Amino acid sequence: MLSVNNVTKKYGKLVANDSISLGVARGEVSLLLGPNGAGKSTLIKCIAGLLKFTGDINVCGNDNKSIQAKRDLGYIPEVPALYEMLTIWEHMEFIARAYSLENWRDRAEHLLERFELDDKKKKLGKELSKGMQQKLSICCGFLPKPKVILFDEPLVGLDPQAIKELKIMIVEQQKAGNAILISTHMLDSVTDFWTSCNIMMEGKIVAIRHRNENSDGDLEDLFFRITKGER
Amino acid sequence: MKALIYLIFTQMKNRILALRKKPGMMILYGLVLLIMIALVIVIIISDKPTDKTFSDSRILYLFLTGFGLLYLFTFTYSGLSTGSTFFSMADVGLLFVAPISSKKVLFYGLLSTIGKTMLTSIFILYQVPNLSNMFGYGFMEVLSLFLIYVVMVLFFQIMSMGVYIFSNGNSNRKRLVKALLYGLFGLIIVSAYIIMQKENVGILDSMKLLVDSKWFGLLPGVGWPIMFFKGVLAGSIIQAVVALSLFVILGALFVSLLTANKADYYEDVLYSTEVTYQRIMDYKEGRNVSSASNRKVKVSDKEKSILKGKGAIVFAYKHILEIKRSSRFVFIDGYTIFLTIAAGITGYSLKNEMGAYIMLATLIYMLYFITILGRLKLELMNPYIYMVPESSFKKLLAASMSSILKPCVDSIFIFSIFAIVGGAGILQCIFMALAYSSSGALFLGLTVVYQRVLGGQPNKVAQVFIGIFLLLIVITPAVTVSILIALFVLPESLQFLSTLPYSMISLISAFFMFYTCRNLLDNTEISNRI
Repeated sequence: MLSVNNVTKKYGKLVANDSISLGVARGEVSLLLGPNGAGKSTLIKCIAGLLKFTGDINVCGNDNKSIQAKRDLGYIPEVPALYEMLTIWEHMEFIARAYSLENWRDRAEHLLERFELDDKKKKLGKELSKGMQQKLSICCGFLPKPKVILFDEPLVGLDPQAIKELKIMIVEQQKAGNAILISTHMLDSVTDFWTSCNIMMEGKIVAIRHRNENSDGDLEDLFFRITKGER
Repeated sequence: MKALIYLIFTQMKNRILALRKKPGMMILYGLVLLIMIALVIVIIISDKPTDKTFSDSRILYLFLTGFGLLYLFTFTYSGLSTGSTFFSMADVGLLFVAPISSKKVLFYGLLSTIGKTMLTSIFILYQVPNLSNMFGYGFMEVLSLFLIYVVMVLFFQIMSMGVYIFSNGNSNRKRLVKALLYGLFGLIIVSAYIIMQKENVGILDSMKLLVDSKWFGLLPGVGWPIMFFKGVLAGSIIQAVVALSLFVILGALFVSLLTANKADYYEDVLYSTEVTYQRIMDYKEGRNVSSASNRKVKVSDKEKSILKGKGAIVFAYKHILEIKRSSRFVFIDGYTIFLTIAAGITGYSLKNEMGAYIMLATLIYMLYFITILGRLKLELMNPYIYMVPESSFKKLLAASMSSILKPCVDSIFIFSIFAIVGGAGILQCIFMALAYSSSGALFLGLTVVYQRVLGGQPNKVAQVFIGIFLLLIVITPAVTVSILIALFVLPESLQFLSTLPYSMISLISAFFMFYTCRNLLDNTEISNRI
């Protein structure tokens, strides 16, 4: 559902992503791991269509900059991107209208309930704590029912209840046959549901592992073995 | 104390060493320094022409008063809300918890603030040739001006902290501070009016007489710089020293508010330090840094959403909703009122055709900066506009809608007042309003082109230069054609049409720029900085 082929992204002379290729299939939860500065967030932004790059990125068979691909793509950024002067509910309404969604209200209510934001619907974006901003950002990302979902450090700033809820939602999305790509440093938090992992260093993918190949399933061990030498 | 001295010098050293990695900036700073030294040398060695008539020094006093009142107002208000700070979050995290006397830490904060204020005030030294040509000032006079400006800014920063400590959590005290502030402004307005009536002069002359009067020099913060500078011009060291001493005494009084109670001021500056830090981080990370951020907005449970439509158009409605939350009357805000009043005063005082065009040019110049840093630019810093499944052209037009409408609404108010006070004829005002409104569209088109051309350009200096170059390319033909047609084609009776070619070329250029860059959102990168 998501395919990334030979994607290169440069900032001046710095090569942030160097000929990266990866794929995330239906029902797969793929991880992007790597030390700070490895180029994970840059790659996620390239896939989301926020950065220019060379190479090809396809979302459900469409070029990632096409309107159809945008319809199928959800993106939850590392830093919550909210409008200060819109309330929580107005954010949902804005997304629903921008994506021309039908019958979205119940779904929006349900999402807000799951993240315990339903009693704060009239709060403005600027009045929200960082954690609440992150929750709302997740709700905005989920509302259009994307088929491919990109998460950039989704758990940072969330309270335990929200972390639990988000994990459940990721598994639900997986079961629904959607493709999920998660960039994270919190290895423990994704141990239960990851299916493949792409380890990045210095702008390159240095290893791709699938869960069944990794006998003990220990992500931390896998991460350190690869980043410390084994490729 | 050793740690603080180490901190000051190491930061200074590292800032200079960091320039090694930015040779372009190093050359730019070198050039700036060389030009400044050259200007100073030229002023020192050149003789003052004795036969030249210089401008009235009171004009400069008016500028000083303007800056003083502006700082008094803004720093008092920041004192009433968040306070002001000499410190960074690093100071909070590392210095406040260190076993160093809080008085020494305060001294460090004062020193670093003086340094920063001097650096940001250096533009005055750059005005040496202008001040010399206009007012006949030498290097010493300009240096004095620089000194008193730095002292004034520093004083208002300290005052802001004092206001915060005095009024924090006490609404009566807040009201008292506001009453004093508005009382001072009221006193100035009433005095100017009395002089106008008594001397039978216009508002400008009355303001000149007011700021030149002896008692005005006694006004705290606002009048003292004039007292000081008049002392320098008259060679009266005593007068200059008295003015400086007044700053020092009142400044020390505010500092003593900080150091009272065992110098436990950390809590008082913490909030403002956090707010400042958040603003810097917002700026760096490209989040919304609009002025509306500080405004308290309460959304009632009964309020109905004004979001309408589906698809790209929702960006236009969202902007209107955001603007409504910042200003009760949507497009009519403080800026509209400010410009309308300024246009009224200008029209009333000048009453000639050239004055009207100079005002129009000034308004368009201000509009340029407001437009290129406006809502479209802010929208380009959020991911939604890139991700919403609609065509790039539709999204661009929808996200530009509010910025196109705002100058149109402003122009109705500005030029109506201008016509009413007799600044220009009604027909000329209508066409000037059209020129102003079309400039908004032109600058929006430029914003789109900037993003297209400079979106991925990491070099900020290059961005500024290319940006100015693009502006000149776009605006020069429109202005030139207008001037030529006014001079050689239009008869006297149709001179009110002189801005029409400019308006038409601006609108055509804007459309051309939008159309050419219609795929911008598919071919550019998310903006991460303003």
